[in-house]
Amino acid sequence: MDETDRQHRFIHAKARNLTQGFEQQVLALLPRLRRFAIGLAGSAADGDDLCQMTLERALTRREQWQEGTRLDSWMYRIMRNILIDEKRAGARRSQTFVDADAGLSVGAEGAQEAHVELSNVDRAMQQLPPDQREAVLLVMVEGYAYKEAAEIVGCPVGTLNSRLVRGRDALIEILGAEA
Amino acid sequence: MSVTKEMIAAYADSQLTGEELVRVEAAIAADPALAHEVEAHRALKGTLDAHYAPLLDQPVPSRLTEMLHPQPDTESAEIVSFAAARQKRGLAPVVRRWAPLAGPALAASLVLALWQPWQGGGIAPEGYAETQLASALDTQLVAEQGRDAQTRILLSFENSDGQFCRAFRGNDTGGIACRDDTGWKLERQFGLDGAQATEFRQAGSESDLMAAAQDMAVSGALDAEGEAVAKQQGWR
Repeated sequence: MDETDRQHRFIHAKARNLTQGFEQQVLALLPRLRRFAIGLAGSAADGDDLCQMTLERALTRREQWQEGTRLDSWMYRIMRNILIDEKRAGARRSQTFVDADAGLSVGAEGAQEAHVELSNVDRAMQQLPPDQREAVLLVMVEGYAYKEAAEIVGCPVGTLNSRLVRGRDALIEILGAEA
Repeated sequence: MSVTKEMIAAYADSQLTGEELVRVEAAIAADPALAHEVEAHRALKGTLDAHYAPLLDQPVPSRLTEMLHPQPDTESAEIVSFAAARQKRGLAPVVRRWAPLAGPALAASLVLALWQPWQGGGIAPEGYAETQLASALDTQLVAEQGRDAQTRILLSFENSDGQFCRAFRGNDTGGIACRDDTGWKLERQFGLDGAQATEFRQAGSESDLMAAAQDMAVSGALDAEGEAVAKQQGWR
């Protein structure tokens, strides 16, 4: 039937456009995704691996993403779930791959003093329990509102809030003691 | 009722509204210790920002960006990271300078010969861009080149040796040249399917050219600013 055919072609073309848009949108998000991954994983090498796994999963599950909802939240959720899966599987790459220099000098370029300070942030972050680190990264680095961050993590806002407070208190203490 | 640590943190993060905000503000105004706490939260935020913000400016490893480039032979093929470069460059017809050598498939040696003998002037070493092309490569910026330029620069990028490279095309031919100590070394050359020179020509095998550029590029194409700086430094 002609009408059906036309409709079918239209839908097909639309799906193709969406597909292309999906990849371009993810590409635009990539620097942020990578930053979150490096923050969660604790080093650039592990972060990039985590980022790669996230992209793989997102690309295979792209039809699960609802057009019109926030793609960044969806991708972050995938990423933190992968990290949890990895840990659960006992396959923590950072045990074998952690490279002290690469890990601790993430983003650090410039004066020696700056280098030391930046490294301290990495070290302090790695001392936090994962759920606190994640809350700190989502709110304080990625700039999510508490409610959005709680949705990504899949916990009540109050829980996120208290993880966040415990995490930042610990950071203030660690960094303050080192200063 | 007292103000909790959570509320102080939420205040520092500008997450409070309405009555809660008023209450916390009043408590902070009345208690220097609370004000100090808010300050500590904000200082921490500053420290974290300073630490993590530079990560956004780092080039994303190509193994990640490449995952988001559809295969060239799929229907929706588009070289994503180079999309902006394509857009800027436009698809206007160019003067048919190279038309006499047009053919459906040019042998590489024939294409190579193309660059050498014209314009009388300087003789470039074999495999290097000859005067006119070299001049275009030296001077033309993607963002500023005229629509009727004989040679159009498609995009510029850095290769893994840290050299600046530029993809260019004329009417029926194109290639990629990288600047080394001698001059613009022609790394790739293509016969392009523009022989008919239609007024609005879609990229045909030009996508091969773009794909080759993408393979050689360490990260994405230079933006207009990056190109201008590179030009100023003589592409070295």
